[in-house]
Amino acid sequence: MAMPVELFRRTDALLRGEAEAVESGRASSMAALALMIAGFGMWYGGVMGTFGGLAGDRPWQLLYSAVKVPILIMLTFAMSVPSFYVVNTLLGLRNDFPRVLRALLTTQAGLTVILASLSPLTAFWYASGPPYQVAILFNGAMFAVASLGAQAILRREYGPLIRKDGTHRWMLVVWVVLYIFVGIQMGWVLRPFVGSPIRPVQFFREDSWSNAYEFVLRLTWDVVMGRGS
Amino acid sequence: MSVSEGGWKGERRGLLGWFGELDRLLTGEYTGVSLLRERGLGISPWRLSACIVILGMSYGICMGLFSVFGEKGPGAMQVVASMVKVPLVFYLTLIVTLPSLYVFNALVGSRISFVGVVRLLVASLGVNVTVLASLGPIVAFFSVCTTSYPFMKLLNVAVFAVAGAFGLRFLFQTLHRMNLAAGPWPTAEAGDEAGPLQPVPDRSVASHVRLVFRLWMIVFGLVGAQMGWILRPFIGDPSLPFAWFRHRESNFFLAVLQALQNLFS
Repeated sequence: MAMPVELFRRTDALLRGEAEAVESGRASSMAALALMIAGFGMWYGGVMGTFGGLAGDRPWQLLYSAVKVPILIMLTFAMSVPSFYVVNTLLGLRNDFPRVLRALLTTQAGLTVILASLSPLTAFWYASGPPYQVAILFNGAMFAVASLGAQAILRREYGPLIRKDGTHRWMLVVWVVLYIFVGIQMGWVLRPFVGSPIRPVQFFREDSWSNAYEFVLRLTWDVVMGRGS
Repeated sequence: MSVSEGGWKGERRGLLGWFGELDRLLTGEYTGVSLLRERGLGISPWRLSACIVILGMSYGICMGLFSVFGEKGPGAMQVVASMVKVPLVFYLTLIVTLPSLYVFNALVGSRISFVGVVRLLVASLGVNVTVLASLGPIVAFFSVCTTSYPFMKLLNVAVFAVAGAFGLRFLFQTLHRMNLAAGPWPTAEAGDEAGPLQPVPDRSVASHVRLVFRLWMIVFGLVGAQMGWILRPFIGDPSLPFAWFRHRESNFFLAVLQALQNLFS
């Protein structure tokens, strides 16, 4: 009983702001933040993977998607941090980096909390029987909404840092660009998240080794030329 | 056995120490104005070069990975070639541009010695290659999961450009600080606490000196880009067999335009 209550408290503190959480002694450690990312990420991933139903081997899709959402977030984070660290160091912000790292992790955790809060909407949408493409778009929209919410958290966490040194304002932009650039491709490589009901359940698609940006360019070109299906 | 172990351990400690030196360079510990006035740029070009070569090679691996996953392409030899060539690009560019920097530096009345210029250039290579290597994981990730050759070319050009911009910014700032430190003017040592890239008040350095350095930085960038072109392939065209070098043709800038065109068509 204590665990869920504690989790709820910590999540609440995270949403209301880290500064307030520190004051009230409910700030989460880095490990707790990572656990939150894993937990809430898995929750949304699981809901995402129910599109094809739960008959036959379909529960596997649920499991795969549940595992892949935290992997998506953590791997994107891990790949973007080294260069961000070097750039911070070069701009004389090394001493602030522990706080920066904390702000970034808090943002990721916030992202997964927002996603989890949107999961009933996704389930509801699935229940109203949309086509596969629309389900993908809907999930895309949910991720977009969660990213916007996470942006607000990121800006709030960065507030004290920016007041201390204006360079952090630029660093924030650098981080968002870097993270989105890697994240889009990571999401592409790790697909399927939703799982087409007419295709077999798979952890990866056979054709997953391709480039999202290249694909989108081609797709846009097709739409512009009126060749979209 | 124990001797060899001891030797290995000693070497490792040494290497870690060298990377520690690179780290201090990145945090700006070597480039405070008052420190520069006292001791000059106190880095060892040789030790720093060892780090640069290692980091450059690690980026070369990330870059060359693209060819390993192609079916017909150059394969694993490209990784070896890129590993060798990335550090080579930087050092050849350094050799080509060092004399002109030194001459112009002396010409515009700067007091930095030849050794000082060498140290400065190696230090900015250090910054350049560190940024490059830190972007290595992202490049490796895209190398592994991308089939589009033009995309990889443009991504690598962008990464080199970003790293180069940091390197040149460091070069410019440090040159400026070294001139401040070597000058007879008593400066309020504003650059002591700042990061290595942050500007320092510069009332004492004439604007024509800065103009010369800016022009020289453009030359450095152009030579670096074209050096990369001469030493190509780095990524390895998936439709061509492995080769250490390609024929002399075209130039870097035309090739980038061509890659952009290919990506969009």
